[in-house]
Amino acid sequence: MAHTGKTVASAKSKTKPVISTAMLPMEGITDVQGADGVYLQRNDVMFTAMKHTQGEFSDFFRALRDEGKVFGHRCPECRHLIIPPFMRRCPACNFVEMKKEYVNDTGVMVATPVITVFAPSRFKGQEPFGTGRVFLETADGKLSETAMLVRVRTTRGTIRPGIYKRGTPVKIAFCDSRHGEMLDIFAVPQKELTRRQLAKSPLLESEIEWGRLSEMEFGKPTAQLQKTLQEVRVHFQKLAEMIPHSPRATANLANWRRTVTVRTSGGTFGLVVDKGKLQVRKQGVKDPDLVVAVQDPSILLAWLRDSTEPVGDSVKSPALTDLVIEGTLVLNKPELETVTRLDRVPRSLRRDNVVIARSAKANQKTPC
Amino acid sequence: MNDVAIVGAGMTPCRSRWVEKTFWELAQMAVSEAVHDAGIHIQEVEAGVAGIYNDIFEFQAIPESGFQGIIGLQNKPLMRVTNGGATGAYAMLAARNMVASGQHDLVLVLGVEKALDCYDFEAESSTPAVVQTIGYSWDPWFERPLGAHASESYAEVIQAYMDEHPGDLAPMARAKIVELLCEQAQNNPYAQRLGEKVTADQVLHSRYVVYPVRVLETCVYTEGACALIFASSEMAQKIKERTGREPIWLTGVGAANEPYFVGNDITRYKVLHRIYSDHVATKKALKMAGIAIEDVQVIELHDAFIPQLMITLAEMGVVPLGRANDLVEEGIILPGGKLLVNPSGGLVFGGHFVGGSNMMSTWSAMREMRARNLEHGLIHGTGASLSMYGVAIVLERRA
Repeated sequence: MAHTGKTVASAKSKTKPVISTAMLPMEGITDVQGADGVYLQRNDVMFTAMKHTQGEFSDFFRALRDEGKVFGHRCPECRHLIIPPFMRRCPACNFVEMKKEYVNDTGVMVATPVITVFAPSRFKGQEPFGTGRVFLETADGKLSETAMLVRVRTTRGTIRPGIYKRGTPVKIAFCDSRHGEMLDIFAVPQKELTRRQLAKSPLLESEIEWGRLSEMEFGKPTAQLQKTLQEVRVHFQKLAEMIPHSPRATANLANWRRTVTVRTSGGTFGLVVDKGKLQVRKQGVKDPDLVVAVQDPSILLAWLRDSTEPVGDSVKSPALTDLVIEGTLVLNKPELETVTRLDRVPRSLRRDNVVIARSAKANQKTPC
Repeated sequence: MNDVAIVGAGMTPCRSRWVEKTFWELAQMAVSEAVHDAGIHIQEVEAGVAGIYNDIFEFQAIPESGFQGIIGLQNKPLMRVTNGGATGAYAMLAARNMVASGQHDLVLVLGVEKALDCYDFEAESSTPAVVQTIGYSWDPWFERPLGAHASESYAEVIQAYMDEHPGDLAPMARAKIVELLCEQAQNNPYAQRLGEKVTADQVLHSRYVVYPVRVLETCVYTEGACALIFASSEMAQKIKERTGREPIWLTGVGAANEPYFVGNDITRYKVLHRIYSDHVATKKALKMAGIAIEDVQVIELHDAFIPQLMITLAEMGVVPLGRANDLVEEGIILPGGKLLVNPSGGLVFGGHFVGGSNMMSTWSAMREMRARNLEHGLIHGTGASLSMYGVAIVLERRA
């Protein structure tokens, strides 16, 4: 009998640690103010590292990694085909053993996928991301009885509503570098692919043309648009000058460094987030970390006015994250963190009384 | 099966964070309140059930072990129940069965939870760490690695329902319910969001957490505890003689958990646009109590997300599936309507200390039934991936 548990092949290693070292606190006990006195809190972690077995699912994940194929399990009695193959025996048929069956890499969405804007700790930096469930097609042209959760992507900028809906035909594409896990694959709408791409199995990520934001053209700016853009620059400058007066707003931008070029139909400018501060540049920055494109600069102006001027309970502008999710602000890569941090600043300015609310603002406790 | 009555209830205030209290102290506060409310001595209690959802929130595996001795049940049985978001309701079900079976005459059921000690040192915020901690509830092979988490999962159900019933769960109907629950919470002295005013307009302009769900449509994270005392009819009679107060009776219970994986056959898989567990659990509970949904005057419903509250009410039969906007448009749950829903403010405004939220719902429903002279109440708990766990409990006030 083979020596079980012995490593027979090394992992195709990823180069980063499982969790970011920035998530690990330093040892220490701090005094915190409570309602009726001072209390102690200790920095700690609930820490258990894993060599987590993939057990009976290993075959499925190896097929993703090594073959670029998906398989399910079919019950020989009731003929149900399940994907992913999450069990080996069919309970409806009193646990008769199911048979492995490869399925096509095409299928349809069970429902409109959802888009995560605020992610759990270990998925920070991946937002916005779409997740949805797919019924895959079987060799006989039918659909699987169960659906598989996958990441859904678009070739045209960041994921946003309107790209997918219930029944959208999709193709499962494969990452070029695969490790044997669910993130090795993702769905793309079939209508975004060429006939040749659709015919290819497995279709690799590198074989898909991903939209490039720098190619978005706005045409020559009108005098009015340029004027609006100038107002945007002035208001961003005003916002930047308020931030050092607000400890909360400074904390919102702490431990984050990004250079950003903002492109609009009224022209281009730059933003730099560094050391808890925001700087505004008249022109776009060279080799920016992030490019943000928005057709109409007055969209940004509305957000800035809400952020820097006293308003009542009724804030008129959507949050920047909502503008991304709705597709009004388009990012060149799916990295929402900079925008999320900027979105927290206006509330912080109010809470620190740097911007005074016009009416008694609701003391809103929200989970985000 | 013997009749089971609730003879006492005790709550701590709901707070987003109690730096002043550990979960041991929160548990003791609630138990102390409950036994005093029941007019009993803790030594009379024969057994206990502790609802604690998540070990990580408590920073301890088998977190209930420390209770023994603290809550006065030394050398007596204490069973811990953990069943996702529905932990509180399932703990009540277990305690009820201990009494109904005739095994015990007086049983304590306690729900407690911490949450906001979880902290993301990178983001310098608790929220991503709390969301991650809950996210550990998804399977580690197929769904969790993709970033599945509570809001994502419930949003999938909500979106699938909207695909099935276009136009239902209308933004304004949802926003009006948020506004209503906020107003109702102001009558709950323990509510986490006491003193807040949230308008429908604010809801419509609030940020998306997971599209299509907005931040003001989601429940809060809460630390707190709630304890209830369950008694056999004989014991309830004795306690009534001492206190002069009529107990509230548990006359129907139902529970159902849907399968984890989504598919096309509701008898074998989760059908994404349904919360079938709520349908099955409610039907069972009502049948056992011998009443119809129309007989229920107050529902304390587990509103993890407002659109889910609307779907659940439809699954319960308050309105047909696809007609959940009627809850607002026909004024069914508005002031003066025929059904009172979440007078506590629910989990969105009252608070959601997961292990005990459904007990808070029970505390609130009992309070309303006594104050408003209502005969029947319904408690609901949901939880786990895709809202797959469902529990319903019928309360009855016998005049």
